[in-house]
Parts: sequence; structure tokens; C-alpha cells
Amino acid sequence: MKRVFIALFSILCYTSCQEEVILNLDTLEPTPVIEAVWTNVPNINQVMITTSREYYDNTPNEVIEDAQVSIRNLETGRIANFVYNNQLRKYLPTNNQIGQIGHEYELSVIIQDKAYISTGVLLAPPTLDSITYEFKDQRVFRDEGYYLTLYGDIPFEEDNYYRLRVVKNDTLLNRRSDYLLFDDTFGTQILNRGFELGGFTFEAGDRVRLELFRLNKGAYDYLSQLVGLLFNDGGLFSPPPQNPVSNIKPLEHDGSVLGYFMVSPYIGASVLIEEEE
Amino acid sequence: MKPFIDMNLFQRCFTLVLCLIPLSTSFVIAQDVSYLEGTIIDFATNQSIPGANVYWKHSPTEGVTTSQEGIFKLPTTKLPAVLIVSFIGYEQVEREVTSKDLARGLKIYLREDEMDLQEVTVSSTRPDQNVKSLDMGKSVVPIETIKNIPALFGEVDILRSLQLLPGVQTAGEGTTGLFVRGGSADQNLLQIDGAPIYNPSHFFGFFSVFNPDAIHGVDFYKGNIPANYGGRISSLIDISLKEGNFDKIKGEGGIGTISSRLTVDGPLFSDKSSFVISARRTYADLFLRLSSDPNINNNDLYFYDLSGKTVFKLGEKDKLTVSSYYGSDFLGLSGQFGFGWSNWMGAATWNRNISDRLFFDLNAYSSRYNYKVSFDDADNGFEWGNALGETGFKATWNYHVSDQTKINWGSHLQFYHFASIDLEPAPGSAIQPITSNPFNGLQLNPFVSVNHEFSDKVGLEAGLRWSLYQQHGRGVAYTFEDNIPSPEAVITDSLTFNTFEKMRGYHGLEPRLALRYLLREDLSLKIAANRAFQYLQVASNSSAGLPLDRWILAGTYIPPIRGDQFSVGIFKNFKNDTWEVSLEGYYKDMKNLIDLRQGASVLFTDRVETEILVGDGYAYGAEFLLRKNVGKTTGWLSYAYSRTWRKIEGISFDRWYNPRFDRPHDLNLVLNHQFDKQWSANLTFVYTTGQAVTFPAGSYVVDSQRLPLYTGERNADRFPDYHRMDASVTWKNVDKGKKWRGSWNFSIYNLYGRKNPFSYQFTEIFNDEINFTPTSTEPITSRRPGTVMTYLFTFLPSLTYNFEF
Repeated sequence: MKRVFIALFSILCYTSCQEEVILNLDTLEPTPVIEAVWTNVPNINQVMITTSREYYDNTPNEVIEDAQVSIRNLETGRIANFVYNNQLRKYLPTNNQIGQIGHEYELSVIIQDKAYISTGVLLAPPTLDSITYEFKDQRVFRDEGYYLTLYGDIPFEEDNYYRLRVVKNDTLLNRRSDYLLFDDTFGTQILNRGFELGGFTFEAGDRVRLELFRLNKGAYDYLSQLVGLLFNDGGLFSPPPQNPVSNIKPLEHDGSVLGYFMVSPYIGASVLIEEEE
Repeated sequence: MKPFIDMNLFQRCFTLVLCLIPLSTSFVIAQDVSYLEGTIIDFATNQSIPGANVYWKHSPTEGVTTSQEGIFKLPTTKLPAVLIVSFIGYEQVEREVTSKDLARGLKIYLREDEMDLQEVTVSSTRPDQNVKSLDMGKSVVPIETIKNIPALFGEVDILRSLQLLPGVQTAGEGTTGLFVRGGSADQNLLQIDGAPIYNPSHFFGFFSVFNPDAIHGVDFYKGNIPANYGGRISSLIDISLKEGNFDKIKGEGGIGTISSRLTVDGPLFSDKSSFVISARRTYADLFLRLSSDPNINNNDLYFYDLSGKTVFKLGEKDKLTVSSYYGSDFLGLSGQFGFGWSNWMGAATWNRNISDRLFFDLNAYSSRYNYKVSFDDADNGFEWGNALGETGFKATWNYHVSDQTKINWGSHLQFYHFASIDLEPAPGSAIQPITSNPFNGLQLNPFVSVNHEFSDKVGLEAGLRWSLYQQHGRGVAYTFEDNIPSPEAVITDSLTFNTFEKMRGYHGLEPRLALRYLLREDLSLKIAANRAFQYLQVASNSSAGLPLDRWILAGTYIPPIRGDQFSVGIFKNFKNDTWEVSLEGYYKDMKNLIDLRQGASVLFTDRVETEILVGDGYAYGAEFLLRKNVGKTTGWLSYAYSRTWRKIEGISFDRWYNPRFDRPHDLNLVLNHQFDKQWSANLTFVYTTGQAVTFPAGSYVVDSQRLPLYTGERNADRFPDYHRMDASVTWKNVDKGKKWRGSWNFSIYNLYGRKNPFSYQFTEIFNDEINFTPTSTEPITSRRPGTVMTYLFTFLPSLTYNFEF
């Protein structure tokens, strides 16, 4: 739909213009931003805690380094404590602990005596069978290049909320147009028939890693709203902008918190694109 | 507001109304007074003239005005006597009437006043209507006035012209959506010849669906809607299509910057019937073909509309009109993606003069809106469409009991059918089909209204409308745990209903009251109170109407909107009704307004009630209007101070907030000056407070994305004030000897190039370029948070050639 509007406006509004302006904006008190990832694989489990700041301030957001962070397995009661890593400026689990499929977890973050919690279930992953690639010529809706198709199976009746991340030559593609989020609105056969990544073009020699996450609904909704906000142009056709609804809640206090807690299985697959003969 | 106990009440009312129709058409009124009867007719067009003044020369204060059909009935005096017929824009006629004229009925022809340069005063209203009528919050905007207003791209636009009236707000630059006295755009009933139009816009709202050449007139009610109308709580925009003349084939049209139009009218078969047919089409897509860029020249973008109307005089007392309108938009990208939408309506109206005092109108209509989206792709192709329609019958009797008392009554039956939303995958597509359940509703609205002049000073209009609504099958109703629908709620049951099986009912009494007290002959005080129910709404959280908007009917979890409006006004005319001035104040209370939950998705869901929040609203304001209708210089100056508020649980901390169209100060100036018979000039100036919007109060980073931080309060900030001046010059060939008469109109939209913001986007700016998109070949070298303002239409000239033959 975005393409429709771009085409429409480029045709209709040939007298329209854009320019950068500076507005006199209010500034809220710094609000904690918690971004927690908990999966069944080591090395990507982490918690980042920063604060918000004035809108036009271009310095890096302040990192909170003295929070108490832990994730508790609600099935076994086992607690994974997180420790702040000065180099990476984030909290990492001690002993590189990981989650277990099918277990529910509770995140606890305490910042200056204020606690924030969230829960999530580490759901079973779908299967990824293979990745194929094919060179395609340029067309009106398509750039020239190699296109990937992902094959697999989603055998679940419910909790079908997915995020697919694309890592190209060890760089995560993270423009706003790079988000690939899907649920079962259009069915669950998408991987069985082959899911072509239409928006991503690759060249021969590229090494591509696809990472598939199966999210809880709260985290999926958060990311969907985040993408919506990134595309919100503040105009008549956009909904009133709002912060994405966090699945992290203050515990017994009325402070606010931003960010989200993602509990998910991790499956990844890589492919090296070789030039077609 | 109570639900139905059973179907009996509904059925009894419906049966009663059906029985009344044949009874009343044969109703005969006894007469024992002598009257002079006749018809006033336009000499040039052979069409009847409503609103003309008819009186005896020796008794000018005891005159009458002609009806909508141009008919008058004047008590006789001692004959012979001199009868005077006058109407602004026409030469006055004096005629001696003898007793022989009483038997045969008069036909008096009026010629247009060649000396009167003001075409805009041709209307069906009396010159002192402003003061002496019971109308409040009503504007009759002559189509010639609308045609004179400088227009965006030179496209004369009825809805955009109405935005220049006090109390009417716009959603934003260039758009045609109307927000009347604090109400939303879906609270306006826009009807053509009695048939509602559900999406009255072309080009995503930048142009309204009406070809001005096809329009006879626009009656706009923003308060005190009469009891014979209903269904929306904010306003009624009652548009009548032009009737063809009975004399000879005539035409008019225009060649504009983005579209051309042609209207032809004339007699059909005989002098007892006429036709008019009108067409308009844009040609933006023809320009697209000229581009060498395949990303552009393979695209389609156009709209067109067609309308037609036929009139049959079935004798002295009967008239039948049949009209139809069709308008369509299409946007196609490379033959692969298509998006089209269209409105269609058909209406038939039978007017019968049962007697000299009793008139009967029967209107039958059907209106349909649909959209279709198609994507031609081997893997993910689909066709997705939806249609919604309304069919109705309305019978109205008008009984002129005396010159002081008029009664009208009748009933309006409406059938809503909002079809299922269907997404059909293309053969071989990986997408699974989606089908929702349809929504159906039946609404019966009996009404009665009495208009009585207690004395020369005091007049009262009292009306009552009773809306009886029922949502019925075919459809499915879901039951939720704890009876609270929400996205997380567990569905405990789903009930399937057969065709016409009752699902849920509501009814409500809608009193309409208006009182006028004439303080002086040219000064009156009026008060009005008005209640209305609305049984359908748009579930949308954008401020502008979109073709994909989801209309929903009242049901178990979505009650009807109730709107109460109280208004008071003072009305004065100056200098023999040359100048009108009015000051009106109003307060409006709104119950059961809907909005969407954050992140709601309503396009395909079958449980739309889970995505909806319900709340209340209120609005108040004062509107000033100074208007000059006659003379070389005409136009109006209006100012309104108005506020509107909403309170919906789940939005803005459950506190009162302003919707985007809350714009307290609103000033409009419309000026037309006729220099001579050839040259005229127009100027409009608009000033309004900026839109109520939400700005960030900080930023933060999540998932490597810098996001603006919002406080949670909705629309607590403002765009800068909006102002704009438009101007146009018209040169008209007035050589009446020529069959073909042309005119040129040159207009400039936004004369002084004001950069009124259309939007502010709070986004990261890469590499100090506001439109930079990082790619593998153009990496990011810098990034910072910024604000990008988009503005439209600065200094936009356009040229239109209009013609008549």
C-alpha cells in the first residue's frame, strides 16, 4: 500500500515539497528503555537498558549500568542472572545460560528500586528445510539480482507470530523496510510453498543468513507497532502516533517503561550465493 | 435507548406505514375558498421557478411564494386586479387578472434580468429567508456561487466550497472531507436525489465525486435537520441533480487542467419529458504515458463520473424523475497492481399534487459502494474486494393546512447490506482465502413535522422522528468471555443467523424543535433543539476518509451514536435584504462514538468489535456570517470559534482530548466582483487554527531503531495556523447571438505561496539528506533525529475553458 501512496502523491502533488524544520518540542523526564532477548541458543541472549532523551539530542542515549537483571524459569524456578558487560554496554546471562523450549520465563529488571517485569513462553520453532536462490532480471516492481526463497513448515494451529531477520555478509539489515513480520492471517502454508524474500536483492558472493523467530503475541504486536511508527508520516492517512505497547510492566509502582521482552526459539540457515552459469 | 423486546413493534409500524400510503394518496381536501392558481416558469429554460414572490399590487404584504414545482395559490380579491410576480435575477412581471383567469390557471413566464449582473442570486429561497424562516444552521449554496469560487486545479468542488462556511472544518490541505460542528466525516449524510453516497471522494479525498454541471443545488444542514431527514448526527448535504429543460437541446462543459466535462440536456420525446446527461473524466493517465520512465508510463490513474436524470410530467398533477450517478476511480501500477473503487446510485421520485394543499412525494433509491484490489503475481496474487449498499423507500406528505400551518409526515425505510470482505487468491497463490461475514440492517423511520406561524412574529417547527433499527441475518454474532470483546478475549460462542433473522435491535425518538421570534421585520431570534441517532459508523483511526474504510453497523457490542444539538441564533437583514448577517451558537453532545485500539487491524477481521473502543464527545461554538447576495460585489465573511472533544476509554489516559479537526478559529472570506458582463473576479481567504496533532517529547532506541517518544496524550500539540488566499478571473463571451458561448477561467490556488504543513514526520535523517535511503552502494555516513515537513500546493495556477451551447 505504501507504494500506492508514493505513486499517487508523486503524480498528484507535483507542486508538493519537503523540507527539514526544527520544532519547539517538549521533553519528558528520561524513561527507562528495556530491550530483552531470551532464546534457546547462547550468545544472543541479552538485555539492554537505556533511557530516553530530548528529541533533537544526537548524543548516544544514556546506558543504565547498575540495574539488577534476571530471568526466571517459571516451570523450574531456576534463575538466570545477568551481568553488565562494560565493553558491549549490555547485560549478558552468567554462564551463557539459555532457555528451554516449552518453558515460560519471567524477566525482572530493577532500576533504582523500581522493578519491571514481563513474561513469555519459549515456543517450539517451525522447521526450515532449505534456502534456494535465483537470478531475476529487472522488472517494474523488481530490481535485478539474486532472490532467496525459504522452504520449511509451520505445523502450529496457534501462536503463529514470526519475525524473519536477514543478515547479509555479517551485517543485519535493519532499515525500516527490512522488517519481515508475519502471522497466520493469510494461512500457514507460506513456507511449504516457498517464501520468496521479494524485497531483498543479493549479488553473487553474498553470504546470507536468515534468522527465524517465533514470538509471543505481545512481542509481535510491539514490533508491528514499532514498524507502523517508523512509517507514520504524521499526515491524515496515518493513525495518531503512539508508543508501541510494551509487554514489560512496572511492578507495584506507576512509572513508565519502554521497550519489549522477546522470548523465542531461534533457528537460522545460511547460504552462499554463487554466480549462476 | 432500549433494545427491542420482540419484532412485533417493528412489524406493526412497518405495516401501518404501508397501509397509509394508498390511503393518503386518495386523500381529498374540501375547498370552499376561491384562489388564483398558476405556475411561474423561466422563459429561457421552460423550467418552473420555486420561491418566486406572487402578490396583488394593492396588497403587497399578503403574497405567497411558489412551491418547489413553481406553483402558487393566492386568495382572490375583487377582480380585475394587478398581479405582481417577482424573483431576484428576473424581470418583474405585472399582469392584470380577470375573473376568467380563475378557471383556467395562469402560466406566467419570467425573463432573466439582463441588467442584473448577479447570476448567483438565482435560488429557491426568498430574499428574507435568513430572518423569517425557521431554518437554523442551514445554507443553500447556489451552484453558480460554487462555480465562481477559485478551485484547486480549477476543479470546481462542491464539498470544498462548503468548507468555506462557518462551522465546517477540513481534515487537511486539499481534502474534501467535512467535519461539521465537531462531528466526524462519517456523521454527514451526503445524498443525491435522496440516495446516500458512502464515499463521496475521488483521488483519495482530493476531489469530491460531483460534477458541478450536473448539480441543480445544494441544501446544507449543519444543525436542526428537519424530521423528514435522519441517519447521521452532524449534517445533511442534500444535493439534487439538475433537470433537463423541456425546450431544446443545450449543453455545457469545460476543458480543465486535469479533467474535462460535458453536460447535455433537452426535451425527451416530447415537451412533457426531458433528460440531462453529464460526464467528467480526468486525463492524468494520458500524461503518464508521455514519460519515458517505465515506472511511470505503465501506470493508470484516473477517475470519471457519469450522471443522468429524466423527468416525465405525467399530467397536471404528477411528475416522475429517474436519476442515476456512477463514479469510479482506478489506480493501476504496471498492469500488476490494481486498485479501484466506485459509487453507484439510482433514484426514482414521484411527486403528486393530490390537491391544492396536499402534496405527496415517493422516493425509491439504491446506492452501492465497492472497492477492489488486485495483485497479479504467480506466488502471492489475489483479488480482494468489498461492497456495501443501501436501498430505501421514502414517502412524504406535505399538507398546507393554511398559510400559517404546514404539516409533513411520512416514513423512510432503509435496508443496509454490507457484504462480506472477500480475498480470493489467484490460482497457484500461496495466500489462503479470507471471507468475513456480512452485516445487514433494517431501519424504519416514521416522522411527522408541524410548521406553524402563531403570529407574524412567532413561528414554530416541531417534528418527531422515530428510528427503529434492527441488525439482522445473514450474519454471525460472537459471544466473548465476560461479555467484553477485546483482541485477547476468549470467544465462548458464535451464533449463526439466517436471512432477516433478528440479531439485535435499537430504537430511539428523535425530536426536532425550532422556534423563531421576529423582533423586527428584519431581525429575528431563533432557537433549536435536535436529537438524532446514527446506526452506522466508519471504523478508522486516520483523519481522512479512505476507499478501504470499514463501515460497520450498530450491533451487540457497538451501540448507535446519539447526537443532541442545541442552538440559538440571531439573524438580521440590511438594505432590503441585500445584506444578511447571523450569529449562531451551538452545543452538541455525542454518545457512543468509536475509535480503534492501538495497532488495530480492521480490514479483514470478522470480529471488528474486538478492535473498537467506544466513548463520548461534545462540541460547542459560535458562528458569525455576513453575506451579500445581490449587486456587483457579492460573497461572505464568516468567523467561527468552535471546540470539539472526545473521551474514549483506552485513549489519552481516558481523558478528554481534541480530535485532529478541532480548529478553534476559522475565518473565511469569499468575494466575487462582476466588473461588467464579460469580466469577473473572485477572491477567497481562509484562516484557521492549525490541526490538533501529537508531537514527540523525546526519543529512544529499540532494535537499533531511533523512535520518537510520545507522552500518551493525544493531539495536545498544534500545526502552525493555516492560511491561504486563492484568486480567479473569468472572462465570458456574452454575445448572445452566437450559439456557442465560451468563457475562460484562470485561477491561482495559494496565491502567496504559503507553506501550510500537510504533515510533520519525525524520523531519522541519514547523511543530512531528508530523502536518503541507505543501500549497499550508498552507506550511511551520519544519522540524526529530525523533522520533515511536507506541504502541498504552493502557488498552483490553472486554466479552464468553459462553454455553453
